[in-house]
Amino acid sequence: MKIAGTQTLPLSRECAYRAMQNPDVLVQCMPGCESLEATGAQEYAMKMKMALAAISGQFQGKVKIADAAPPERFKLIVEGTGKIGFMKGEGALELTEAGEASTQVTYEGDVQVGGTIAAVGQRLIDTTAKMMIRKFFDKLVEVTAGMR
Amino acid sequence: MIPHSFDYAAATSFADALEQVAAGAKPLSGGMSLIPMMKLRLAAPERVVDLGRIQGLNYIHQDQAGIHVGALATHFEVETSALLRAGCPLLSETAGWIGDVQIRNRGTIGGSVAHADPSADYPAALVALDARIVVASKRGGERTVGANDFFVDALTTAAEPDELVKEIIVPVETMGTSYQKLLQPASGFAIVGVAARIGQDGHGRLGVTGLGARPILITDATDLAALNTTEANSDIHAASAYRREMAKVYARRAIAAARARA
Amino acid sequence: MATTAAPPATGKLVGKRLRRKEDPRLITGTATYVDDIKLPGMHHACIVRSPYAAARIKSIDAKAALETPGVVAVYTGADTKEVGPVPCGASLPGLRVPHHYILATDRVYFVGHPVAVVVAGDKYVARDAADSIEVDYDVLPAAADPEKALTPGAPAVHPEWPDNTAFTYHQEGGDIAQAFAEADVIVKQRITSQRLIPTPMETRGVVADWKPGDKALTLYSSTQIPHLLRSLVAGMLGLAENKTRVVTPEVGGGFGCKLNVYAEEALMSFVSMKLGKPVKWIESRRENYVATIHGRGHVDYLEIAAKKDGTILGLKLKLIQDLGAYHQLLTPVIPTLSVLMMPGLYRFRNVTADIVGVFTNCVPTDAYRGAGRPEATHAIERMVDMLAAELKLDPADIRLKNFIQPEEFPFATATGLTYDSGQYDLPLRKALEIGGYAALRAEQQTARVAGKLMGIGIATYGEICAFGPSPATPAGGWESATVKVDPDGKVTVLTGSCHHGQGEETTFAQIAADELGIGLDDVVVFRGDTAIVQYGIGTFGSRGTAVGGPALYYALQNLKKKLKRYGESALGSDDVRYEAGQCICNKTGKTASLAQLAGASYRALKLPPDEEPGMQTTFFWEPPNFTFPFGAHLVVTEIDRDTGRIEIKRYVAVDDCGKIINPLIVDGQVHGGVAQGLGQALYEQVVYDDNGQLLSGELTDYAIPKATMMPWVESHHTETPSPVNPLGVKGVGEAGTIGCSPAVVNSVVDALSSLGVRHLDMPLTPEKIWNVIQQGARA
Ligand SMILES: Cc1cc2nc3c(=O)[nH]c(=O)nc-3n(C[C@H](O)[C@H](O)[C@H](O)COP(=O)(O)OP(=O)(O)OC[C@H]3O[C@@H](n4cnc5c(N)ncnc54)[C@H](O)[C@@H]3O)c2cc1C
Repeated sequence: MKIAGTQTLPLSRECAYRAMQNPDVLVQCMPGCESLEATGAQEYAMKMKMALAAISGQFQGKVKIADAAPPERFKLIVEGTGKIGFMKGEGALELTEAGEASTQVTYEGDVQVGGTIAAVGQRLIDTTAKMMIRKFFDKLVEVTAGMR
Repeated sequence: MIPHSFDYAAATSFADALEQVAAGAKPLSGGMSLIPMMKLRLAAPERVVDLGRIQGLNYIHQDQAGIHVGALATHFEVETSALLRAGCPLLSETAGWIGDVQIRNRGTIGGSVAHADPSADYPAALVALDARIVVASKRGGERTVGANDFFVDALTTAAEPDELVKEIIVPVETMGTSYQKLLQPASGFAIVGVAARIGQDGHGRLGVTGLGARPILITDATDLAALNTTEANSDIHAASAYRREMAKVYARRAIAAARARA
Repeated sequence: MATTAAPPATGKLVGKRLRRKEDPRLITGTATYVDDIKLPGMHHACIVRSPYAAARIKSIDAKAALETPGVVAVYTGADTKEVGPVPCGASLPGLRVPHHYILATDRVYFVGHPVAVVVAGDKYVARDAADSIEVDYDVLPAAADPEKALTPGAPAVHPEWPDNTAFTYHQEGGDIAQAFAEADVIVKQRITSQRLIPTPMETRGVVADWKPGDKALTLYSSTQIPHLLRSLVAGMLGLAENKTRVVTPEVGGGFGCKLNVYAEEALMSFVSMKLGKPVKWIESRRENYVATIHGRGHVDYLEIAAKKDGTILGLKLKLIQDLGAYHQLLTPVIPTLSVLMMPGLYRFRNVTADIVGVFTNCVPTDAYRGAGRPEATHAIERMVDMLAAELKLDPADIRLKNFIQPEEFPFATATGLTYDSGQYDLPLRKALEIGGYAALRAEQQTARVAGKLMGIGIATYGEICAFGPSPATPAGGWESATVKVDPDGKVTVLTGSCHHGQGEETTFAQIAADELGIGLDDVVVFRGDTAIVQYGIGTFGSRGTAVGGPALYYALQNLKKKLKRYGESALGSDDVRYEAGQCICNKTGKTASLAQLAGASYRALKLPPDEEPGMQTTFFWEPPNFTFPFGAHLVVTEIDRDTGRIEIKRYVAVDDCGKIINPLIVDGQVHGGVAQGLGQALYEQVVYDDNGQLLSGELTDYAIPKATMMPWVESHHTETPSPVNPLGVKGVGEAGTIGCSPAVVNSVVDALSSLGVRHLDMPLTPEKIWNVIQQGARA
C-alpha cells in the first residue's frame, strides 16, 4: 500500500530534522510505541502495543533511519511482528523550509501488511495507516512545541 | 475460529454495567462487531460485560427533546419502529440498510455508534440529523455529545474507555430525508453511504459514510465541493477516486430522493 | 419456481419433477457432517500455518504449547517426514513435482502452509496453544503473480527450479499455419480467468480414529472421493487398504475442492496413530481460504483466424496456468482440459495450444466447478464475439454458421475428442426465441439513442462430462453400483460415486424404482463408506449420473434377470416375466411379489438351478466415451453510467444435458452453476499482494454472490440423448457455471461497445466499468 502526504511543523528545518531522529521523541510520537532501544547506529529495537478500539496487539520489531541527508531528507524504516500479523513500512521524508520556524515534511512510502490483519482487515488498513501517520505528526507537533 | 479465553459477566442493570466497565471490562452489546474481532483474535479482552440482558435499554420514546433511542435498540427495532418511521424516518431507513436480517436482529445502535466503523451506516444519518449521543460513566455521570463531535476518527469516538453509550437522541423530522448506499458486495458494508435531509427549497444537510475515517458532515447540500478535498479511503474494493465520485453520485441521488419527500 | 407434484407411489418416475429425498434432513439441520461426529476419547487438533508466502524456517519453539495444561502433543515437519507425500495424480511428460510433505520441513511456500499441529483434549486449548508456538522465519521474496514469476530474475518458488516452470505442454491438430495463411482476419486478445475460491458452505473436516487393538484406521472426511482417498491415504501411511476405512458423512458442498487428498487427512491419521486416540480437525473459514485449493488462475493469449464471411479457420492459444506452490491431486491436469475444449461447438479443425504451468507462492489451484472448461469456454466465446464485432456480424449468426451439424456426429475434434451427439443450434435458437432476440436488439437501439447502456450477450458452450473412459483419467473412469433387495422386498442401492448435493439419492431412486416397478420410497440410496460400498471412483466432472447412473442401470438389469430366475422357480414355470414389482406367470397369471422373491432367495429352500442364494447384484461400468452436453445462455444487462453497476435484466439458460431424469434437480444444478458463474463474472476475485499475502482472506472481502444478488434464471432445456450410455444422460453439474461467465461478459461488452470497448477481464466490478465509461467519455 502506498502512502504519501505532507505535514507542516511549526519548527525550523534543523529542529524538525533533529526531532525526528531523536529516539526519545520517536518513542512518544509513534502510536503505541512502548520502547526503542538502540541496537546500532540509528537502529533501534521496538516494542509496540497497537490498540485501536477493540483491536489490540503486541508488536516487536525495529526502527531504522537510513540515507540520512541532514537536514533535508532521510528514510524511516519500521518493522513489526506480532500474533495478529506483521507490517513493514518504509518512508522517504523530505523537509523543506516553509518560512521562519515552519517546515514542510513531505513523505512518500510503502507499507506492507501481512498475517491476519492483512487477510481480514482490508477495510480498515488504509484508514488505520493514515490515522497512525496523522497521530504521529500531531504528537510530534505537541512534543516539539517547547523545542524551537 | 475460536477467541482467546475471557471472563464473562452479564450486567444486571445499567449501573452494574457502568461499574464493571469502570473496572476494565469490555462491553458486549449485539456482538456483531466485537465477536468476529474476538474470533479472529484481533481483539482479546480479558473481561467482557454483556449489556444484552439489561432490561428496558432498547426503548424508543419521544418527548420535547426529540426521540430517544436506547443503546440496546436493535437495528431491526429501529428499522421497524412506528415512532421512528413517522418521526425520524431517516434513522429507520438507514437501519434497514445494515447488513442482513440476522445482523439487524442482533446488532444494536449503541454498539454500532460506539464501534464507529468508518463504513458503518448510522454515523452518516446521525451527523446529518445533528443527533446527540448520551454517554455515561460511574466516574462522571451522564454527558451529551453532538454526533459530529462524537465520531473522532476510525474506530475512535469521544467516549472514554469507562463510558457507555446510553442513548441516542434524534430530532423530530421536518425535512425530506433519504439514505442511499453503495454496498461492498462481500460484506455489505458501505463503500459510500449518504444520508440527506433536504427541504423543499433544495437546501439541507448531508452525512457521508465510507469516504473518510469518520463521517463527513456537509451543512450546505447545494455545495458538494468538500467531497473533492477530503481524504478518501482506498482498499481492494474501491480506490479513492471511485469512492469520491460515488460519494458525489450518491449524494445527488440522496438529495433528489429526500427533496421529493420534503 | 418449479411446482412439484407429489411423488406417485409407483409408475414412471424418471422424467418427473420430484422433490429431493435428501432435502428434509438438510433443511431441518438434522444431517450429520464431520463436525457432528463425536467419538469417545476424541482429541482436537489445531494447525499452525505460515503467515509468510516464502520463508526459511529457522526454528520452531513449542515449549510453551507443550506445557499448556490439556495439550497432549505437538508435531512438526521433522516428525512427519516419513508420511506422504501429498499425492499428485497427474503424469504429464517432464512434469516437475515438488516433494509435498504434510507439514513444512525447512521452508514454507505459501501463506497457509501447515507448519505444526497441536493436539489437545479440547479445541479451545488446542487453539490457544497454537498461538504460543514460536516459529522463527527468515522471510524470502515471493512470486505471487504467474506472469511475473516467469520473468527472469523473479524469486524462485522452489529453488531447484529457478524458472518457476512446472511443465510445458503442447498440443496441436490440423494445419494451423495454413489456417492463418488463408485467413482474411485475425483477432488477438489476452483473456484471463481469475483465481477463485470455491467456498463450500461446509469447510473441510477430518476425524481420524486409529484402533490400536485392530491396527485399523477409520477416517471420516468431507470428500468427494472416499475410495480414492482410502487408497491414497493408506499409501501415504503405509497401511493396508483393508485396514483403512473412509467414511464420508454429509458433505456441505464440494465444487471440486474436495476432489482431492489433503495433507490434513494424512496428518490427522498420523496423529491418531501416534496417540491411539480419535482426533478431530475442522477447518475454519480463514483456513479454508488459505489451505483448500483455489480454482482457475488462467492467463490466455489467443488468436483466432477466420474468413470474411465469419467461417472460423483456426485458433492459437498460449495458456499460462497459475499452479500455486504445489501440485495437489489434479493441479497440472486442469489446464489440459481447457485445451481439449478450446474448439467449443465449432467445426474448425486447426488448433495449436501451449501451456506453461507456473509455480507461484500461492495456494495450489485445482478443480473448481467446471475445471478447465469454463476457462476454455470463456476464452472461445469471447473470441467469437470479438470476431463477430470485427466482421460486423451478428454474434448469433456467426455461431450458427460455425456449429458442427447434427449429421457430422460422432465428430472428431482437432484436440482429439469424439463428440457424442448434438444439435447445437437448438438451444441457441430456443434461447433467442425465449429472449425475443430481434425485439431485444430493437430495444437496444432505442436505448442507445436515449443514452442508455444496454447489452445483449450470448454464449454457447460445449462441455466434456462423464469422466471418463479409464484410459483418459488418472485413476480409472468407471463407476460401480450394487443393488440389494432385502427379505422384505425393500431395495438398497450402494453407489460408488459419492454425491454430495447433486441429488442422486433421488435420481438413482427414480431409476431403480422405475426399473423394478416399485415406489420411490421403497429405495434407499447409500454411498460414502468404504466398508460398506464396493470400490468406486466418486463424484466430480459431472459424472455422478452419467457414469454412476449406467452402472446402476446394468446392475438393475442383472438383478431383474435374477428375480426372473427366482420367479420361475417360485411359480413353477419358465414362462415368466418381471413387471411392476412382481413376477407374473404368462400362462397362469400367478404372481410372486418382490418381497416373496427376495424372501425365497434368502430362505434358500428352492434355489433356481445354478443360482446363488441372496438377492444382490453389482456392476462396474466402463464408459466407452465422454459425454458432451451443450447449451446456450442469453443475458440482457443494463449499466448505470454514473456508478458502473451492472443490472442483469434477463437471464435465459437453455441447457441440453441429454435425457433429464428429474427436471427440478436439473434446474437446481443450473441455478447453482449460474450463481457460481456469476460470482466469477461479476464479484469474485482472489487478491494476492506482491508478497503473496492473501488480501481477500475472509468472506468480508471475498464476494460470493448472495441470494439477493441473483437474477431470475429462466431455465429451459432441449433433450438430445447421449448414445454413450443406456440412460441417454450427459451430466449437468457444471453447465450453468460454464455457460454463465462468457454470456455475462459478452453482454456487458456489448453494452459498452458504443464506447469502443472490445474486451474486459473478470470480475466486472462497478469500479472497473465506471473507469471504462470515464475513459470512453474522454475519448
Ligand atoms: C456480516 C456483517 C455485516 C455487517 N454489515 C453492516 C452494514 O452494512 N452496516 C453497518 O453499519 N454495520 C454492519 N455490520 C456491523 C453491525 O451493524 C454491528 O451490529 C454494529 O457495528 C455493532 O453493534 P453491536 O450491537 O453488534 O455491538 P458489539 O459488536 O457488541 O460491540 C461493538 C463495539 O462497541 C462497544 N460497545 C457496545 N455497546 C456499547 C455501549 N453501549 N457503549 C460503549 N461501547 C459499546 C463494544 O465494546 C465493541 O467495541 C455488519 C456486521 C456483520 C457481522
